Amino acid sequence: MRLLVVEDNEDLAGLLAKGLDSAGFTIDRVSNAIEARTALTTTRYSAVVLDLGLPDEDGLGILREIRSRNDPIPVVVLTARAGVRDRVNGLRSGADDYLVKPFAFEELVARLEAVLRRPGRWLGSSLRVGNLVFDTEARQAFIDEQPQALSAREVAVLELLMRRHGRVVTKKLVEDQLFGLSGEVAPNAVEVYVHRLRKQLAEHGAKVQIHTMRGLGYLITEDK
Amino acid sequence: MRFHSILSRIIFLHVIAVGVTSICMPLALYWLLSAAANDLHNGALRENADTIARYLTVRDGSWAIELPAGLKELYSESYGRYAYTVLDSAGHVLLSSLKDGAPIFSSDSRAANTMFLETRRDNATISGASIPKVIDGRPVWIQVAEDLAHRDVLIDDIVAGFLSHVGWITLPILLSLLTIDIVIFRRALRPLVQASDNAGKISPTRTDVRLPVNEIPKEILPLVQAVNQALDRLERGFRVQREFTADAAHELRTPLAILRTRIDTLADQTAVEALRHDIAGMSRIVSQLLDIAELEAFVLDPSERADLRAVCAEVAEFIAPLALGQRKSIALSGADGPVWIKGNPDTVSQAVRNLAENAISHTPEGTTVEIVVQEDGSVCVLDQGPGISEGERELVFRRFWRRDRSRAGGAGLGLSIVQRIVEAHAGTVTVANGAPGGGAQFSLSFVLSN
Repeated sequence: MRLLVVEDNEDLAGLLAKGLDSAGFTIDRVSNAIEARTALTTTRYSAVVLDLGLPDEDGLGILREIRSRNDPIPVVVLTARAGVRDRVNGLRSGADDYLVKPFAFEELVARLEAVLRRPGRWLGSSLRVGNLVFDTEARQAFIDEQPQALSAREVAVLELLMRRHGRVVTKKLVEDQLFGLSGEVAPNAVEVYVHRLRKQLAEHGAKVQIHTMRGLGYLITEDK
Repeated sequence: MRFHSILSRIIFLHVIAVGVTSICMPLALYWLLSAAANDLHNGALRENADTIARYLTVRDGSWAIELPAGLKELYSESYGRYAYTVLDSAGHVLLSSLKDGAPIFSSDSRAANTMFLETRRDNATISGASIPKVIDGRPVWIQVAEDLAHRDVLIDDIVAGFLSHVGWITLPILLSLLTIDIVIFRRALRPLVQASDNAGKISPTRTDVRLPVNEIPKEILPLVQAVNQALDRLERGFRVQREFTADAAHELRTPLAILRTRIDTLADQTAVEALRHDIAGMSRIVSQLLDIAELEAFVLDPSERADLRAVCAEVAEFIAPLALGQRKSIALSGADGPVWIKGNPDTVSQAVRNLAENAISHTPEGTTVEIVVQEDGSVCVLDQGPGISEGERELVFRRFWRRDRSRAGGAGLGLSIVQRIVEAHAGTVTVANGAPGGGAQFSLSFVLSN
């Protein structure tokens, strides 16, 4: 898969290229907005890693241009600005994800894989946490390659959790997904499904934990 | 007395001026009118004396006067209004319209020039003149007089009635002038009121406002222009500060990102964990220093509001993976619905995040940090760590204060950032030890927004 890395710092760009190369990506490197535009119009990339602090202009300008062309190419933004406002600006301008420098390289790879895996995107349709794999097209969960028999609602909860692996899935989001906007939701309905799912996974030897974050929601992590 | 408005100052002084003028003007007019009346009276006396002199003759060494019948009537004692006497240089009465033949004024009132005199005779005030004349080469003094009780009634009435009939008009005239002036002043001050309104909108969050110069009177224009120039400089200062923090963030974080990526992509992954930990610590200090720099220029926009519950939920969701990574947990409780406060969501989030991160690092493994949002616009962050002793509760908010300097990690900036943010929001931050089982309890309290 071919990625465009837009980063003006030679050292960082070189390291990212090297690291992403060993993670299995093919990398093109540019160091300013003009080169980035040329590269984007001449080559079809799977995703873009975009630094906002470019020497000639703000990277957000390029991002807005991409989105104004209705180009759905996944964009992961890198920035030195850490404020919430900056994050919101970045995502509003159409970034798929956002990393503040300095970031863990693993995190960049994970985020890239996540955005590439979204529906209609480049990566295959399977999500993996530990020995638990979920095929989003077949809507089938596997533990150590063994298919699992889960109810439709348990599958829906699992998919939500695995798509947002490492991040909190709010209880509200689970309710909306499970019951839509119309249905009456019993106060503890979500807890019931999560409890069943947790029990099922544990019984079949999944090395994952579904954490209940009181007042917030649920979060799936690999069991180490 | 002090006035805060130019208009009230002008009106106050104007009212004083009107008061003084409305007293002085009628008095001055009255005085002028009386003087004019006196002049008329004296002119009449002089004319009378001239008439007497015209009919005065010397025949065979003795003085005689032959007045026409109409005039004789005027000077008759029965009419009683006018009288005359003629004196020679020795002071002897030569002729008199009075029966007793005495001079009207004492004989020493003979002077080289006309004299106007007043005397009393038979309980009446007599006003008259003594006028020197030369008839047939002999000097004489003709005294003419008028009994004031019979003085010209018309003139007297005008003078006496002036104050009551005419003088009062000055006050209403001056009052209407005052009213007109107030209207004029108001119109003249309108551009200034406009400028003041605009100036009122200026705040550090809205540095783009300038005072209008179009209709400003040229006396005040230099002041308005100076204010606008000062605002330009101020705006530039704010921009420089913002650009500095943006540049500093980029310049500091990029080398850290290079270092981190270099370590992450090292082929030999032994000893990498410790290096990562060092970078994380350094990154945190850099972030906090940048936060402090950014907060120096932060002023809350009074119109901004934030949902404290949503902000806390976002922070807790952000912290949750980090907490789980350390075998700790975080929970949100309290208000179910939105809690709207007067605040900037970004900075409030920064404050709550600093407290939550502190709490996570101090709470023991296996325990939960609790974030409690209350309907009154306050939020508590509780941990189950060792708590903070009485003596340290002031110290923890100081910049670079750390309990254990030998311990790696934070630079002791987090709580001073929290305090700065809370101050900018006119809120409060308090620290206590939650019961039971100790643990620190930090509470932020904000102003509710309606």
